[in-house]
Amino acid sequence: MGPVELLHMSVFSQSFSPCGRFLAAGNSYGEIAVFSLSAALSPDATALSQKPVLTFTAHEGPVFSLLSTDCHLMSAGNGEISCWSWSDLTKKNVKPLWTKRPNYKSSLEIPEINAMVLNTRDNSLVVGGGDNNIHILDLEHGIFKTVLQGHSDYVHCLSLREREAEILSGGEDGAVRMWDSRTGQSVHCVEIYKYESCARPQYGKWISCLTTDSDWMLCGGGPSLSLWHLRSLSPTSIFTLTGCQRQTSFYQDMILAVGEGPSVAHCLLGGEVKAQIPCTPQSLNTLQLNTNSAEHRMLTVGGSSNHIDVFTNLSYRAFSLSF
Amino acid sequence: MLSSTSGCNGVKMSPSLFNFVDAKDKFTASARHALDGKTSKPLINAFNQFPGNEAEKKTTFDQALRGVLGDQIVKQKANCDEYLSLIYLSIDAVTEGICSATTPFLLLGDVLDCLPLDQCDKIFSFVEKNVSTWKSNSFYTAGKNYLLRMCNDLLRRLSKSQNTVFCGRIQLFLARLFPLSEKSGLNLQSQFNLENITVFNKNEQESTLGQKHTEEKEDGMEVEEGEMGEDDAPAPCSIPIDYNLYRKFWTLQDYFRNPVQCYDKFSWMTFLKFSEETLAVFKSFKLDDMQASKRKLEELRASGEDVYFAKFLTNEKLMDLQLSDSNFRRHILLQYLILFQYLKGQVKFKSSSCVLHDDQSVWIEETSKLVYQLLKEIPPDGNKFAAMVQHILNTEENWNGWKNEGCPSFVKERTVDDKPKRPTRKRQAPEDFLGKGPDSKIFMGNDELTRLWNLNHDNMEACKSDSREFMPSLDEFFTEAIEQADPANMVEDEYKVVRNPNYGWRALRLLSRRSPHFFQPTNQKFKSLADYLDSMVSKLAKELPKDIPSEEIKTGEEDDDDNGDNLLKDSNDSPSIQSKMVSNQQMDDIAAKLGAQWKTLASHLEMKAAEMREIETDSEDVDMQAKLLLVAWQDREGTQANVESLVAALNAAGFSQIADCLNEA
Repeated sequence: MGPVELLHMSVFSQSFSPCGRFLAAGNSYGEIAVFSLSAALSPDATALSQKPVLTFTAHEGPVFSLLSTDCHLMSAGNGEISCWSWSDLTKKNVKPLWTKRPNYKSSLEIPEINAMVLNTRDNSLVVGGGDNNIHILDLEHGIFKTVLQGHSDYVHCLSLREREAEILSGGEDGAVRMWDSRTGQSVHCVEIYKYESCARPQYGKWISCLTTDSDWMLCGGGPSLSLWHLRSLSPTSIFTLTGCQRQTSFYQDMILAVGEGPSVAHCLLGGEVKAQIPCTPQSLNTLQLNTNSAEHRMLTVGGSSNHIDVFTNLSYRAFSLSF
Repeated sequence: MLSSTSGCNGVKMSPSLFNFVDAKDKFTASARHALDGKTSKPLINAFNQFPGNEAEKKTTFDQALRGVLGDQIVKQKANCDEYLSLIYLSIDAVTEGICSATTPFLLLGDVLDCLPLDQCDKIFSFVEKNVSTWKSNSFYTAGKNYLLRMCNDLLRRLSKSQNTVFCGRIQLFLARLFPLSEKSGLNLQSQFNLENITVFNKNEQESTLGQKHTEEKEDGMEVEEGEMGEDDAPAPCSIPIDYNLYRKFWTLQDYFRNPVQCYDKFSWMTFLKFSEETLAVFKSFKLDDMQASKRKLEELRASGEDVYFAKFLTNEKLMDLQLSDSNFRRHILLQYLILFQYLKGQVKFKSSSCVLHDDQSVWIEETSKLVYQLLKEIPPDGNKFAAMVQHILNTEENWNGWKNEGCPSFVKERTVDDKPKRPTRKRQAPEDFLGKGPDSKIFMGNDELTRLWNLNHDNMEACKSDSREFMPSLDEFFTEAIEQADPANMVEDEYKVVRNPNYGWRALRLLSRRSPHFFQPTNQKFKSLADYLDSMVSKLAKELPKDIPSEEIKTGEEDDDDNGDNLLKDSNDSPSIQSKMVSNQQMDDIAAKLGAQWKTLASHLEMKAAEMREIETDSEDVDMQAKLLLVAWQDREGTQANVESLVAALNAAGFSQIADCLNEA
């Protein structure tokens, strides 16, 4: 990988291993790199420990989404989903366990898959992508059992409401739809851009990030990042951040958000932006918190750079992993 | 005693050898008596009674007292009060002059050396209480060195962390006892405590996490088996540790400990790099009041040795917590500021190689600004803290300067000032002395100023004088307009001066000040200013004095000789005579006729007394005086000095004949 390619690389997705000691990151060239966190965090870490222990090409197109289950790593790229075994990967064995493709209506264009979530209740994988639909893959049987149709433009992000067994999806059409996972029907549809407090017409109406913890939902993108109360389906707090936010997460009593701009925003639930911690990439695409391991607890962010910033203490950048 | 053997029959004995042992015994006994009786009388008596030389007796007495003290200590049954009473006795003895001034101090020193620390405390309280005694003239010079040594011995025995208060008391006592410029108390050469080393975990083997962790291995995860080359994985601790920052951060302490290192290029580069990283962390890691540490306090593992009082805790696990602590951050930032002050400052004892390069100075400047900025951002009361720090560092500059000058004393010698003070005279304001008194010329000190001032003393009057009258009269101003209005001159409309807006505006102003026509209502509607001015001009032309030929308006009659005829006509008209100026010849005639009676005319001509006096002094000849009067009148009136007014005045004064003559002329 020459320096020019490194310069143009973007990191789109990340996922921590179930043991919490490894990080998998997918980039715009279709590669997945696996980093060893224990090496990077050790007292005598060198520059080499911040390089991946394994890099392999997973897909033809960019790897937009990565997901880890108990022992598998799912990656989604150009219209197909591949499954890898973590144990194989740690042994540097890069053969996928399986690769599947949802049923697309047209075979001419292969839509990309933007988001994946795992529904542990019924062991199914929910994927959403460029064909405006959400496909649900039954992991036990290996077949696509349901298609959720309703969005008029491609689906950017997915989230799962555990308690009510609902799937939330946000798309380019500006709508956040709530689906009942059992019946496959759209239960609610909220068009965020129609709410004056959130709308930012200069950025558009697309929803690029969505996350929920059953009672509350964070969504943002073209409209400002806002915290919604799901029962009443009304926005409660608006966060004034410049640019579109591409990924958000709840953390303890804070909200972490990344998007356009070289910083991670820490916000309070009331709407106040508490801090903006600077980081290396000029704009960020993905944010992950390692909750699987206590010793390797960290926050990693990646974006339009070949560096992935690691924060052991949320308030400053400790070091960077690089492709 | 030898003398007794030679018989005490009243004969004065020759001075014999001083029996030291005997004297000492006697004095010891008397001292004991004195202690019992709590009075120093026995001492004085014994001293006086015993024969011998003063000096010898004194030294013996000292010994005696010390012996008594020694016995008391050896007995070990005596308590502090007894020692103290002995020392009081010795002080009294010094006052009486029977023992040398160093004795109380020697006694104190002995006592403190022999007692355990808790009792020393009581003795020291005594010492503290009697600071005034020690500072008094008789004791000070003799005892200060002893006191200093005694206190230093005590300090050496005490532990700074265990007996902080006692150490503090001793230091305070020393501070009160000695003047500020006492050099023994100063760090004159600005040396650093090089032994204050901060210990931290420099590499993994010396991990302060303790040894037992390394034996534990994680089981149960199959991922463990295929670990990619991490066989010597470090012991897992419960939170991830940023070793990089940890090491760099604590390395900085070494530079603070020994700032002279900074002058060395290589060390400076390291210092620079590490500082920038640390300060970058401080910058991005903003503290706020709300941020309470959510993590439970991990078990603190000390570095192993005794915790010395003012050292940093450098366990890796504490790093995160320390970064979130505002006081800790203030410590570090303050260390930076102190270091910078030293590096930049002029200290006499710095070696000549300790000079900063330009880029170093620049970096220090920039970083100081950043540090102050960070200090201001630290809650609570960041701004106040930063301001205080700046103030304190400024004060330090003063002390540094004082040390550089060799610690001059702060006591100023009273200057001898015997000159009696002259009573100060209140200076008079200029208006008090200028202008008062007879019309003497006031000298302003400069010829030009004198001339100017004497033109007129009173500014108000000067402004009101006629020479300052700048508003033109109607005839002056409108001369041109009237001329142009004359059809005989055949001036075309567009060239008329009334068409000039500037002229028109000034004309209006002048009319409003001087002409009653301005205020007369008229039904005539004027389309423009120029038309209005035309009508005004024609009205004015009719009114203005006709002796000026050009002012005449002829309505329709055009004649080349008209001007000349008009002249003739004018001169024949009686009204025109009256507006004529008085000629010189006429004045001469009148003067001749007036003679000495000119003074009566003067009052009617509104001459001032001053002017009359002037005329009188100017000339002796009355005719001349009269002439002068008329001249003065003419000067004053200017254009109004016409025959008419003169005639009026003459008539009023009773010189009707002269008036008639004038009229006929």
